[in-house]
Amino acid sequence: MKWENFRFALFEKAPEALWEHSLIVVITITLAILISVPLGIFLSRPKFKKFGLVTLNILNLLQAVPGIAVIALALPILGLGMEPAIVALMFQSLLPIVRNTIAGLLGVSSDVKEAASGMGMSQRRILIEVELPLAVPIILSGIRTATVYVVSMGTLASLIGAGGLGNLIMGGLSLFRPEYLLVGAGLGALMAIFLDRMINYLEQRITPPSMGAE
Amino acid sequence: MIELDQITKQYPGQAMPAVDKLFLSIPKGEICVLVGPSGCGKSTILRMINRMIEPTSGIVKINGDDVTRTDPDQLRMGIGYVIQQIGLLPHRTIAENIAVVPRLYKWPKGKINKRVDELIVMMGLDLEKTRGKYPAQLSGGQMQRVGVARAMAVDPPIMLMDEPFGAVDPIARTHLQDELLRLQKEIKKTIVFVTHDINEAIKMGDRIAIFDAGKLVQFGTPEEILTNPINEFVEDFIGRDRVVKKLNLYLAEDAMQPIGCVVKGNELHTVAQKMKDAHVRVAFLLNEEGKACGQITVSDTEEFGRDIEGLRKRVLRTEKAFVQTTTPFPDALSLLLEYDTDYLGILKGEELCGMLSFKGIRKHVYRKEGE
Repeated sequence: MKWENFRFALFEKAPEALWEHSLIVVITITLAILISVPLGIFLSRPKFKKFGLVTLNILNLLQAVPGIAVIALALPILGLGMEPAIVALMFQSLLPIVRNTIAGLLGVSSDVKEAASGMGMSQRRILIEVELPLAVPIILSGIRTATVYVVSMGTLASLIGAGGLGNLIMGGLSLFRPEYLLVGAGLGALMAIFLDRMINYLEQRITPPSMGAE
Repeated sequence: MIELDQITKQYPGQAMPAVDKLFLSIPKGEICVLVGPSGCGKSTILRMINRMIEPTSGIVKINGDDVTRTDPDQLRMGIGYVIQQIGLLPHRTIAENIAVVPRLYKWPKGKINKRVDELIVMMGLDLEKTRGKYPAQLSGGQMQRVGVARAMAVDPPIMLMDEPFGAVDPIARTHLQDELLRLQKEIKKTIVFVTHDINEAIKMGDRIAIFDAGKLVQFGTPEEILTNPINEFVEDFIGRDRVVKKLNLYLAEDAMQPIGCVVKGNELHTVAQKMKDAHVRVAFLLNEEGKACGQITVSDTEEFGRDIEGLRKRVLRTEKAFVQTTTPFPDALSLLLEYDTDYLGILKGEELCGMLSFKGIRKHVYRKEGE
């Protein structure tokens, strides 16, 4: 191991890779939330509950496909670059968010919903003022799982030219430079831990006091 | 007034309708208790009034208007609703929970705050301590107080209560019942109250409707039902001790008799003669301030004769053998048995105003029974 190589990887290569990687993660998770949460809400409505199981199964299947295969499959269809990588990663991160959205919404006590409805709150209002706020901690925990997943899978995205920390890792492997590998993997791990803790903190903050305390 | 006209509710896949061609008219300003064994359809009936459940056929009318003409959410905003599980919003404070319906009516903030404070105090909760708390920080009894306060927030003329006190401990339940009755005297709401507990029904109801398997079996005042149960089912349901239960309906003043003879502390030696002259079998002793402090029966005077001090001791033994005009019969009976006596003085506040005798209670209950 050479200090020189290490320094080069950390100060010359890493900033750009980190920036690209963050971009991939943020865009992927934002898109995943925008698709999954409404889908979860839709699938938890009494009328559409029967589609819920089917959708969850499909998403489970998607999840079961190895990340590297998804990215490889994205290549012939979507081509090279960051966009196809984001689309591929997004499909993989839908499941935890949809699943937790449904679980969170269905977990809201039927007594609370009954009382809210009995007071004359419309179904829409109950969703916005009662169900969603109560489900948010669980939805966030799904987002947390998905985020960590995307950070780690995101390193594979460099295979189809998306850049990111994967570039450092792949570079290190092909050039036999363990320093590159260490910097890429280490920063990836740190990023995953940081995001995990941050979202976890958010979860704690918005869970109403005394809920779940007992 | 709430009218149910030919209401039937048939759930799919069930052989028997949950509610079968029900006609029921609930008068304004009264507590009407729907009671019956579980599965008799009483909750279904309640929930058809605010359209939480829609009847298969028949019409529900409130003050003559068919409820299906009003949007269900609008209808429910105008009807208080209390359920056994309470269902407070766990992520909102107590104040916010009570403010739900006023907010639906878009009341200005100041008016909402004022009303919330008023209700918290009215329900006997500590204003400063309760306002900002979350439901999980309260006891079951306190939560149901908030549940009732929430239902009364916009002062709806009708309240529907589905086993409201079923999940709280017996002591809190008694308190809540008493307070609701006390409040009802002022607010005079039309309350439809569902319970499976016949004792609660007798206590709370101006009128009781007894149901069995979706059919109304008997509808009447607690007194009517306890006096003349219409069939064996009602008889079984209200229990073998129905006459004892009926005692709860009467107060000491209902069987009050005038007092024939009172004596002061220094007149004890004349009491035997006084009672003889007045043709009564009991006299009451007054202390210097004119307060009643015991009773003397004819047998006491015979037993003690000229032993005035012995008699005085005997009299003071019954120092607490008094009831208020509003004491219910069971409490009075308990005192009669406790002091092994036939008579109790009746006080109005501090003042002796009459007496209650064992025989009087018996006659009162028997007369009512015979009616």
